[in-house]
Amino acid sequence: MKNTIKNIAALFLIFIFSGSLANAQGWTVPNSAKKKQNPYEATSKNVSTGKKIYNLHCKSCHGDPTIANMLPLAPVAPTDLGAQNFLVQSDGEIYYKVNKGQGAMPTFEKTISDEDKWMVIAFLRSFDKNKKVKQQVAEVKNPEVTDVKLELNVNEANKTLLAKLSGVTKKGKRVGLQGIEMSFLVKRSFGYLDVSGEDPYTNEKGDVKVQFPADLPGDREGQVNMLVKVTDDDFYGKLEEARVVTLGVPTDPVNPLDERAMWGTRANAPIWIIVTFVGGVLAIWSVIFLVLFQMIKLPKLAKSKD
Amino acid sequence: MKEETSNNSRRKFLKSFGISVGAAGVVSSFSLIGAAKAAAKKPAEMVNLLTQDGQLVQVDKNQLRPTVNEPLDELQKRGREGIPGKSFVMVIDLSKCRNARKCMSACQNHHQLRADQHHINVLQMQDADHTAPYFMPKPCQHCDNPPCTKVCPVDATFKRQDGIVLIDNERCIGCRFCIAACPYSARIFQWTEPKDAEKYKDLTYNIEANVPQKKGTVSKCLFSADRLREDKLPSCVSACPNGVYYFGDRNEDAVTNGTSGETVRFSKLIEDNAGYTLMEELGTKPRVYYLPPKNRAFEFNGDLLNEENLH
Ligand code: SF4
Ligand code: SF4
Repeated sequence: MKNTIKNIAALFLIFIFSGSLANAQGWTVPNSAKKKQNPYEATSKNVSTGKKIYNLHCKSCHGDPTIANMLPLAPVAPTDLGAQNFLVQSDGEIYYKVNKGQGAMPTFEKTISDEDKWMVIAFLRSFDKNKKVKQQVAEVKNPEVTDVKLELNVNEANKTLLAKLSGVTKKGKRVGLQGIEMSFLVKRSFGYLDVSGEDPYTNEKGDVKVQFPADLPGDREGQVNMLVKVTDDDFYGKLEEARVVTLGVPTDPVNPLDERAMWGTRANAPIWIIVTFVGGVLAIWSVIFLVLFQMIKLPKLAKSKD
Repeated sequence: MKEETSNNSRRKFLKSFGISVGAAGVVSSFSLIGAAKAAAKKPAEMVNLLTQDGQLVQVDKNQLRPTVNEPLDELQKRGREGIPGKSFVMVIDLSKCRNARKCMSACQNHHQLRADQHHINVLQMQDADHTAPYFMPKPCQHCDNPPCTKVCPVDATFKRQDGIVLIDNERCIGCRFCIAACPYSARIFQWTEPKDAEKYKDLTYNIEANVPQKKGTVSKCLFSADRLREDKLPSCVSACPNGVYYFGDRNEDAVTNGTSGETVRFSKLIEDNAGYTLMEELGTKPRVYYLPPKNRAFEFNGDLLNEENLH
């Protein structure tokens, strides 16, 4: 009996030891760095900002937290950043590693701002089973609702967009949903341009108002494809509204080939080239004809002399 | 249909005849090929393919041909015209480049280039004795006032309405005037039979990708014009692991990062980071913008081709 306990204990130790070794992979983090605390609170706003930044910069390699769908890189695959054995580290440790990078993990010291990095850490902490209790979960409590609707109002005169998020409570009343982040996206050739501004969270009525940039080009009529959606699908599932709005600056695309230029098409050659060329050809041919003409005249001339 | 039947009957004929002729030792090259074809056909090797509507079908391997979407005429015509209403630009953030060279290999794959041929090349730069070195990817600048197209005697290289400068390898006579004219050394010449020439010899020539490459003609970066048609980012832009490249449409004032997929305002990106173009004093008006290697995300760690530095 004692032996088995000993064995189990030994196994356990080995397991922990090897685990920490595999985890460490030679990442030595100075003690001073480990002590750093996240200066930002784990508010739902910060967590959702962190999620956005995570999806932009980390997801491509690390996959979704807790899902373990990271890129299968060799020799060391990226860690699942939502896994508990990663989250046992202190905020400072994670922050240090994000900053410094190692091997295939790039350094983010200069590519992501400090604030953004702490937001990502706040987001990752939301998966931490041990610290979850301490976290302030959603400060704003929305009632449980069904039939969530997203309405969009466009004011073309002063270029504003008003989105309203509402749902039906159990009592059958339609209420606004508060504190939910929305994304206002403009379709461009290769992606969506985010024009949500600083604070795209719904107010207590469920409204959020966004000023469309005054100088963003649209098509000839100033139309742009707009996509408004609830940023995080986790709350109410996928909610979005796509619409063509006339808020852009009407832009006539210039065709560089319309310009008369030497590199342009033949039809649009510069005038001076056409004139010189045609003039040159005419001049040469007229000289030739002149000579021929004179030569025809020669025998006549000879005859008349006779 | 008619052609197929006549082909089939020829095959049948060869199958019964060619083999016996071959066995008789009279091996003309023609009958050899015919026999090989017939022999290959005999144990019909089947492959599984997924059709467009999601069905799994079995197809005789001998029937497989590379897909040809458009006939040559159509490809040539639309390749010359370009995509209306667009004005493509690229932004390269030098502060993020750490010589990963993924752009180069993606480009070489796309355009069937050998490892020593570059449409885009990552250069090791040091502007003066006491300045810091940095890495600089350099594709064709797709100049708005291109010296290269002006010197072409046969109108083989040209600019399109969306700003892209292309080469028609079907027209190019290989005089290499354009190579001499380009101040950015963006063009390469196919001195030898291109890579995989045999494999791609039946492929319809696509002017928007310069494939298949042709011996004795010039080739260069095309901003992956064929991918742009499908609203995909150029190969190099999507291949970069470090977020160096932005690509987009200047008419829309937006560029998209190939790594993070983030779309930003082009004018703001250039303004905030003091973006510049290469050798603007020449008046070539490049469409490739550089952001200075300030506040570098990766230390410059020495020799360009040192294995250890290839991340
Ligand atoms: S970089 Fe060279 S090849 Fe490209 S457009 Fe300019 S001059 Fe022509
Ligand atoms: S090498 Fe070809 S593309 Fe270049 S100038 Fe000569 S013909 Fe034109």
